[in-house]
Amino acid sequence: MPRTEPSSLPLATGLRRLLLVVGILFLLLVLFLPRNSQEWLGQVGGPLALILEGPLRVMASIQDSVTGTWDHYVALQQVWEENQDLQRQIQELQGEQNRLREHAILALEFQKLSLYQEAAPMVTLPARIIGRNVSNWYRAMVIDKGTHDGIRQEMGVITDAGVVGRVVRVNSTTSIILLLSDPNVAITGMIQTSRDEGIIQGTPQGTIQMKYLPPLSSVQVGDAVVTSGLTDDFPRGLRIGKIQQITKAATDLFQLGEVTPIVDFSKLEGVLVITSFLPPISTESPTSGGTLPAPAGSP
Amino acid sequence: MIILFHLVLCIGTVVAQATVSSWVSINGLYPDLCLVLACLAGFLKNEYKGLLMGLTVGLFQDLLSPGGIGLNMILKGLAGSLAGATTHTISTVTVPAVILVTLVLSLVCGLASLIMAYPALDGVETFHAFSRILAPQALYQSVLAAGIFWISHKFRQSVSVVHFSQGR
Repeated sequence: MPRTEPSSLPLATGLRRLLLVVGILFLLLVLFLPRNSQEWLGQVGGPLALILEGPLRVMASIQDSVTGTWDHYVALQQVWEENQDLQRQIQELQGEQNRLREHAILALEFQKLSLYQEAAPMVTLPARIIGRNVSNWYRAMVIDKGTHDGIRQEMGVITDAGVVGRVVRVNSTTSIILLLSDPNVAITGMIQTSRDEGIIQGTPQGTIQMKYLPPLSSVQVGDAVVTSGLTDDFPRGLRIGKIQQITKAATDLFQLGEVTPIVDFSKLEGVLVITSFLPPISTESPTSGGTLPAPAGSP
Repeated sequence: MIILFHLVLCIGTVVAQATVSSWVSINGLYPDLCLVLACLAGFLKNEYKGLLMGLTVGLFQDLLSPGGIGLNMILKGLAGSLAGATTHTISTVTVPAVILVTLVLSLVCGLASLIMAYPALDGVETFHAFSRILAPQALYQSVLAAGIFWISHKFRQSVSVVHFSQGR
């Protein structure tokens, strides 16, 4: 066996050379054959093409998908960046719109207050609410005006809708208002139709009561309650609310009315502080109102 | 520097109390952040820090409160010092201890504020205020204080672990 191997190697090498030469000749023959004679090659190669078709399609589809994915990714990257820009712009515009809306709402509210301030027969000072209750025990608000602006204790606080409360503490640039719904606030009120007077006072539950209504009063549910002007802080005729319920126990001397306030205290943003009952005699700024002499109670 | 930080903390708490505390209100009740701050100063530091923080934050709260000047200052100062003294001398500072002490101090301070604010309240109204406002608020404050205490305690632990590992 070892002897046969050396003799077979040259044979194999010769066969390879022969096949190589035949192949080259075949290719040359095919190359130099006339075009018509090459068709049979096409017919022979047809089935081979079918075999290749499958993998080619698969490869092409993969290439297409890769190319498409790449193209889309690149394109989407641009779209994503553009989207981010647009989102940022939308957020900026929404923020700006919100600010403008807030300014518009505030401007409208203060415009209403300003119109009321000009028409009202008293000198008032507009103020903005900058804080609310600092404890659960008081129903209070903090406004941005103080002694520097002419605010003093016991001044009445209103809006264009009606009575809000009373100033109970004054700092140099801020003041504390107790709302009408606080039990520590009591003002004199009057039923607008029957002209019966009583004391308006808050309750610990946050409601407002009208106490000491005469027992023979013809007050009815829905009657408007206004200030009577008997105290120094509010002129006569400012709206307080409406009678929601009237009660009188058999042993009570007076009737008791529950009042629904006309002002929604939870939504207040600006108020007017009554600095004087006297109507403005000139077009001075409202801040000068605090220096006018206090009236004697009646408007 | 630390005094300035405490001052800023007190002012920030009072401003938050007057402005954004309604955001965390539950059924119309919001926590007394100033009391929580005073108690936490006592819990996390000691009774002296609690007293000092309570007095400062109470003073600022009084400036924005319709009640008389001094009431909140005294109550918060006492609360801060008692919180520190109770938890550092009688017991160890744990979350249940924080809840219990804050609850008791909240109830005592709230009752004192209620009596001072509305001296003319009758028994029914006082009970109503206690059950509807005082007790839920005290519970809210104690849970809030315990939550903040737990977070700050964990934070301090992690910081001390980092310092220890760096030291090694």
